[in-house]
Amino acid sequence: MASYHGNPHSEPAKMEQIITEFFAKSLHIILESRSPYVSSRNYSGEQVLSSPSPSPSSSSSSSSSFRPRDKWFNLALRDCPAALENIDFWRQSNLEPMIVDVILVQTPLNFSPKRGPARNSSSGKDRHFYGSDTDEFGSEAKSEKIIERWILQYESKKSAGGGSSTSSSSGSSSKRSGNTSSHALYKKSILLLRSLYATIRLLPAYKLFRDLISSAQIRLYNLGHRVSSFVEPFTRREEADMQKFVFTPVETSCGRLCLSVLYRSSVLDLSSEPSTPISPQFIQEYVGSPMAEPLKRFPSGPISQSSPSSSSPFGRRHSWSYDIYRESPSSANPSPSPTYSEAPIHRLPPSSLPRHLHDDTSSVVAHVKNPSYDEYWPSPMFSPSPSPSPPTNVTGVSHMPKAILRYSSMPSLPNKQPRFDQLTVPKEVVAHSGLHHRLFTLSKDEPGNMLGVKPSSNSSLSFQDDSEFSGAFVLDDEDDTTDPGSRQGSFDLACGPHTSFPVKKSQDAAVGALVHMLKKATPLHQEISVVHHMQEDTTATTSSNLALSKTTADAFEELRLYREMKDSLLKQGKKNIPQA
Amino acid sequence: MNCEVCQLKELDIEHFEIREVLRCILHTVLFHRALGLVRPKDIDLELFEITYVQCGDVELERKIDEKIDQFIDRVEKHPNKKNQICLSFYEVKNKQATWFTNKVERLYWEQWYINLNVAQHPKGISGKSYSSKVVVDPGAESRSARRAALETSLRDVLFQIIRFVNEKKDHIPPIPNLEGVSFPYEITISSSSDSAFGMDMLKRMLQTGHPTMLS
Repeated sequence: MASYHGNPHSEPAKMEQIITEFFAKSLHIILESRSPYVSSRNYSGEQVLSSPSPSPSSSSSSSSSFRPRDKWFNLALRDCPAALENIDFWRQSNLEPMIVDVILVQTPLNFSPKRGPARNSSSGKDRHFYGSDTDEFGSEAKSEKIIERWILQYESKKSAGGGSSTSSSSGSSSKRSGNTSSHALYKKSILLLRSLYATIRLLPAYKLFRDLISSAQIRLYNLGHRVSSFVEPFTRREEADMQKFVFTPVETSCGRLCLSVLYRSSVLDLSSEPSTPISPQFIQEYVGSPMAEPLKRFPSGPISQSSPSSSSPFGRRHSWSYDIYRESPSSANPSPSPTYSEAPIHRLPPSSLPRHLHDDTSSVVAHVKNPSYDEYWPSPMFSPSPSPSPPTNVTGVSHMPKAILRYSSMPSLPNKQPRFDQLTVPKEVVAHSGLHHRLFTLSKDEPGNMLGVKPSSNSSLSFQDDSEFSGAFVLDDEDDTTDPGSRQGSFDLACGPHTSFPVKKSQDAAVGALVHMLKKATPLHQEISVVHHMQEDTTATTSSNLALSKTTADAFEELRLYREMKDSLLKQGKKNIPQA
Repeated sequence: MNCEVCQLKELDIEHFEIREVLRCILHTVLFHRALGLVRPKDIDLELFEITYVQCGDVELERKIDEKIDQFIDRVEKHPNKKNQICLSFYEVKNKQATWFTNKVERLYWEQWYINLNVAQHPKGISGKSYSSKVVVDPGAESRSARRAALETSLRDVLFQIIRFVNEKKDHIPPIPNLEGVSFPYEITISSSSDSAFGMDMLKRMLQTGHPTMLS
């Protein structure tokens, strides 16, 4: 239809406006009854004086509580902002057809409710708009099916003389239809919209819509919509499953308004397909979960939310270890969620630990040469362990605390050898927490000792007992930046009274103390850098000598020494049991 | 001027379904003929999964309910008869205020006939059973099947109304500047015993333009 020139009240202008508003009203009616999230159930009756409507047959200003728009076609509807937003394209050019697809979105049981970006490209004929409700669910593993397609278009008649009434195919009586003025067009548009309003409530999709907006139950389907001016036609097979209802076109002098709908009559079957009850699925990202709050500590107790696939081989878990086991569920969860990527980056996937351990024993051996760490990594000790062990790679030192936590949380391990492993682990932490300097100097003097503890001294066996952990760690916990010399003394103090500690202190308490200490420990990265700096500061010869002197054999020797210390401590502890 | 007549599909309903069915049909027709400003109101049927639309006119609702009550009374008084409700739209022609008559001439331009076969209650069974609409209380399954069939039929009736409204638009007179129900209407009730005769008479009268004698 040619745009009017000049006079906005001319017949062609009025008709054009009627057609434009018809598009808007139709979209309003459709979306109001098909989109659960764009329809407004709250009537927003603004007190607006009724503006003189250009439509000739509209009612008077008797009802002043409506917006001017709502009065179009004498059908006062509630607000539908989404419809109003999307009609702009057709306001510019009402010759483009408007196709509204109502989409049934079915989600599987393991959907991930993550909002994706709304696609809203407005480029010419390919204007698409996805309702916000379609982005409610993750884009993966969801099926979409078009259950309704509303097609509204204005077919212009390219006739030479536009004023006379053209012959209509409907064959309707022309007595009253000869008046093709805007009045007639408006009246017939009113009738058509009334029919649309009633029909849309009789189609099968309406029940889905009502169920969605009324029921508080969890539904495995959702309704979305897509408004466009160009769509791919249905395949023959798809169209065979659909029924068609064609509204009688409204004839005008320059064309005709056509409205039709293709709809599936069996939408209820589609929506009820995945009606199986939702299997108990563990929600990984519930509010308050470690994944959501990784730094939060949880009370000890059985962790029911853990999925079996991500559980460790351990029989039970400690509360503090929950963070570890929830580190990277994606490695175990068959349905990875994008939100898992938000896990703290300082976490290591548990599966990588043993791999790393077993694969990089050579590197572990190499690291043994490092003066700062080799004493603490009797790596072959770890390899036979069935459970994931802390990584021995020095570069992954930032993960140490967690790995250590993990390792120390192995309740299923027998109290024999692993205890010694647990013994060694905190040593490293102790080292990193500030004794690096001391280590360096001490190891220089006594290559076979750790932390300057004489093997013969019982104090050095403090590491070998859970009870002593707390003592030593409490010491370290106090001040990480104390002078190594004073630390030496304090360490002795810690070692001194260790024998009075009850041997059979609860493992949980020890672990908790360990965690506490580790959390207060300074970051290992800094320690490494400091260590490296210190190495640079000291004479190069000394460091190189130390590096060369430490070999695997030395590590084994130290290990043997510590074992002896441990055994002696245990014997002492057994004697002290009756006294505790 | 022609009068468009629409004979809606016959429905077999039970007594307790009369009100809902009639409301649904009458309001649907009137919604399509209330071409003034309306505030549509969605009404969900309780007996069927059907949502129909009302105009939101309180006066209209009251009038319809009155007629439905009259219909129910008639059905109870005259069982075993096919009952019919006629919804007519007319134009008021010139008011001929003469010495002898003060009748208002009505020119009917559309009529809707709602045909209902009301099944009788078991206790209301009479000897005359030629209409054979006796309810024998078949059982829950058949009752639900009957209900489903009735829902389908009712939906068909509604679509019939919509199609008729779509196809026949030219006979509608210009919309008066009113709100809500813009055209005058009337609802009449007739039974099978006199419906045939009544319909013929009505049609003749409509064509000649004489005022009707219907109540």
